[in-house]
Amino acid sequence: MAEGKKAKLGGACDVVIIGAGNGGLAAALALAVRGAKPLVLEQHNAPGGFATSFVRGRFEFEAALHELSSIGPENNKGGVRRFLEDEGGVDIDWVPIPEAYRVILTDSGMDARLPFGEAPFIDAIEEKVPGSREPLTRYFALCREVSGALGLLAKTAANPSPKRIMKDLKKFVAESADPFDDARRNASNVVTFLRTLPKTVDDVTLKMGIPPKAVDLLYPYWCYLGIPMSRMNFTIWAAMLIDYIDYGAWIPRLRSQEMSYAIEARVRELGGRVEYNTRVERVLVERGRVKGVVTASGETIKTSAVIANTSPAQLYGSLVNPASEAPAAALRNVNSRKLGGAGFVVYLGLDASPVELGVNDYGYFISKTMDTDAVYGSMEKLDLVDMQATICLNNAIPDCSPPGTTIISMTTLYKPGVWDSVKPKEYAALKNRIADAMITQFDDALGTDIRSWVEEIEVATPATFARYARSFNGGIYGYELDPWDSIIPRILSEKEESYIKGLEVAGGFATMGHGFSSSLISGRSAGLKTLAGLGG
Amino acid sequence: MSELIKFDGFKDMAALLELLPERKKRMKEASAEPQTGDAMAALARALHPDIQRLVITDVREEAAGARVFRLVPDKESGASSLAVFRAGQYLSLKLDISGVRVARPYSISSSPADADDGGFYEITIRKKDGGFLSEHAWKEWREGTKIEASGPAGFFCVEPLRDARHIVGLAGGSGITPFRSMIKDIAETGADVKFTLLYGVNRPEEIMFKSDLEAFAAQAPDRISVHFVCCEPDAAWCGPTGFLTADSIRKLAGDPAGKSFFICGPQAMYSFLETELKQFDLPKKRMRREVFGETADVASHPEYPPDAAGKAFSMTVHCGSETTVIPAKANESALVALERAGIAPPSECRSGECGFCASILLKGKVFVIPETDRRRLAAKKFGVFHPCSSYPVTDIEVKVPLDKS
Ligand SMILES: Cc1cc2nc3c(=O)[nH]c(=O)nc-3n(C[C@H](O)[C@H](O)[C@H](O)COP(=O)(O)OP(=O)(O)OC[C@H]3O[C@@H](n4cnc5c(N)ncnc54)[C@H](O)[C@@H]3O)c2cc1C
Ligand code: FES
Repeated sequence: MAEGKKAKLGGACDVVIIGAGNGGLAAALALAVRGAKPLVLEQHNAPGGFATSFVRGRFEFEAALHELSSIGPENNKGGVRRFLEDEGGVDIDWVPIPEAYRVILTDSGMDARLPFGEAPFIDAIEEKVPGSREPLTRYFALCREVSGALGLLAKTAANPSPKRIMKDLKKFVAESADPFDDARRNASNVVTFLRTLPKTVDDVTLKMGIPPKAVDLLYPYWCYLGIPMSRMNFTIWAAMLIDYIDYGAWIPRLRSQEMSYAIEARVRELGGRVEYNTRVERVLVERGRVKGVVTASGETIKTSAVIANTSPAQLYGSLVNPASEAPAAALRNVNSRKLGGAGFVVYLGLDASPVELGVNDYGYFISKTMDTDAVYGSMEKLDLVDMQATICLNNAIPDCSPPGTTIISMTTLYKPGVWDSVKPKEYAALKNRIADAMITQFDDALGTDIRSWVEEIEVATPATFARYARSFNGGIYGYELDPWDSIIPRILSEKEESYIKGLEVAGGFATMGHGFSSSLISGRSAGLKTLAGLGG
Repeated sequence: MSELIKFDGFKDMAALLELLPERKKRMKEASAEPQTGDAMAALARALHPDIQRLVITDVREEAAGARVFRLVPDKESGASSLAVFRAGQYLSLKLDISGVRVARPYSISSSPADADDGGFYEITIRKKDGGFLSEHAWKEWREGTKIEASGPAGFFCVEPLRDARHIVGLAGGSGITPFRSMIKDIAETGADVKFTLLYGVNRPEEIMFKSDLEAFAAQAPDRISVHFVCCEPDAAWCGPTGFLTADSIRKLAGDPAGKSFFICGPQAMYSFLETELKQFDLPKKRMRREVFGETADVASHPEYPPDAAGKAFSMTVHCGSETTVIPAKANESALVALERAGIAPPSECRSGECGFCASILLKGKVFVIPETDRRRLAAKKFGVFHPCSSYPVTDIEVKVPLDKS
């Protein structure tokens, strides 16, 4: 019965999706619900990419997700939830995160717990820093206008142009009924939006008269974008801030792996195929058109459409074949952009309850200061970084681990290149040294002693992310969102920067930027664009 | 509102437009060299190669029925170095035995330093009567035989951020192999841990690495101590006798409090020790055990559905775009049924732990041994199962992943 041995993938198909990460799965779902039959090829043995989990002893750790934006409650669903549930028919058990975050700044001793919802959020800051309420209220109004306008543009049809955007924005102001964004509408946002478009977060925020200590409390979400506020584009920041504060944040009950398995199962149910352990080595291109892909085992699959859930660097640098089919403009595009941070995570299974440990919040931003340039600078050295974003899963899902135990994961970022010189031989000791220092960083900031309760520990480095998710250089944060490479310039340049017919990029490196929600949204739009190309 | 909100159409439009020329300019000025390098992918590959091509340079008898195979990079196939590993890890050896592709995990019994600079790994195989790979190895493997192996895998390693400073290793039979690596490593590196080994065997001639282990202990007497415990001693035996029990452990290793216990040995020994160690009232984190591979007698598990025992089922297998129907015995794991039929999905631990063999159960039922069920919660919810630790109890239909090669 040797025929099983020669099992093949079947020669040809309409759309091949390279990678079953958030972007790839969302693209597959968007296609499958519209009747297309995508073939998803994933090198790993489970779906999800970063949207995954792993088991050690009696603990199941979330690999990457801290919290998802754009989910929202049943009666006020955000865009991502509408996509997955209403459009995709994917059923996920969403659990709300109890509070926005706890921020601890170790240099100044600032320690605050901030709730979701604009009014409570501002109240909490006012309580710590009197005199913040009035400027913060203005600031939120401004962010809300920008966010509303961006929400509209994200839905703008193909062929965006400055003129088109202007027209859309005017229409947006004139009309009121917009089912997609009703929570975010505000009338004066055209001007605000355009005015702040080329600005950095600091440019706008520091002019609003917000007391510096209140700015410190406002800024922690910068960690999720990973570029200092002196460079981060204000538009994307405003959208993120409003999204979290208005809709709250959510996680799937069974870790993000629940989401990836749920989407995968739905795609299969709709007639799509998902194959694991199957690495794509080449994307065949002829005269600027996609012709097929070749897998690591040497099988060629003919197709006219490929959605790559990879970085453009990998796509144009090594996947596109022959290399002469990678246009110089595409390579220049890739080289002009700045790779975002690479991940480093310490996962701890502790044999004491959160109450016994004194760890009572879900999300912690522990940082030396809120001087984001300084903290970013510390990511350039192969040493303890000045910041960790830490979650205690039990404080959102009490029964995520056995009674009397706790799951904590601590994340920080390194700039690309920092780990390049690490030799395999010194790798294990190095990651342990940094993990050790991060545990001390946490215990010192909270006055706890989690160190004594470690039952399981695992440490993921940029090499780990490169291994499991093939992420380019271990990056987890796509390209940096400087004003010139933020969402709007990307949207406006999409057509011009589409270099090969039939080829789309989905995921953290795509137009909408990184993060779970953005990757899902960009996957969806890659699916839709591909479908349009197929004439569907 | 603030001065930011005053309308000036021209200026505002310009603001939008100025970003685009900047973007274009940056792209124009950038290099057109492809980025082919990815240092993190290279590091990941060095640490976790998909495959290592090795060749045997030495075979030696270690004890009754056990052989040590020394493996070095196979220069002829272009390999020049070995992936670094942590003492306690295993390799999954992949081979074709009369047209059947199988894989078996074997702990590395040499130390991490032995593998440096194109050095060697050693694996030590105990011959098992009727064993598929071990009998083949006995018959066929000699100097010059080429072997394919996975990268180092597994989690049975001493972890300073987790374990006590004093480790007690409890070994039974061929379960000594990872401990030899750990102890040699501690002797060589001067690591700041104490290690007490209690090694239980049936008969004196079964003791593997006796002189090696004694030599490591002599090298670092303040950190390493080794005790052999024999069930059926001969007249010449003068060490402790009997099983490893709570009493003998306490006698030889001292007060169990504040120590980490590492256990590796046959399934029966583990079950026995589990009960014995209960008397010590240790926290869970102080007891770690290596996985023990496929279960020999699944039907004897108390939760096994009795009417399935001894039956033969059919398994409809979707692999890639092909579908095959194959036989599957109740007492063999679904993975063995697949391998017998020439379908070789990936596998490493063969113990339910690593997830390499993860497949989807589309129809029918399997028995998953609860103690070896290491699937993720979402995997269970969506019908994912690990064939290496699952046994069909009805006809089943499954989707299995393709083999990488
Ligand atoms: C983490 C780990 C580390 C280990 N380390 C060691 C070690 O250091 N030293 C050591 O000696 N052992 C070790 N083992 C055990 C080892 O992996 C093997 O299980 C052991 O050597 C027995 O394998 P076998 O192939 O000889 O026998 P089995 O796999 O038990 O074969 C038994 C039966 O199955 C049949 N069979 C199985 N597969 C097929 C097939 N594909 N086609 C036809 N028939 C088949 C055979 O005919 C035979 O009847 C380790 C196990 C684990 C999980
Ligand atoms: S081979 Fe490891 S889980 Fe099956």
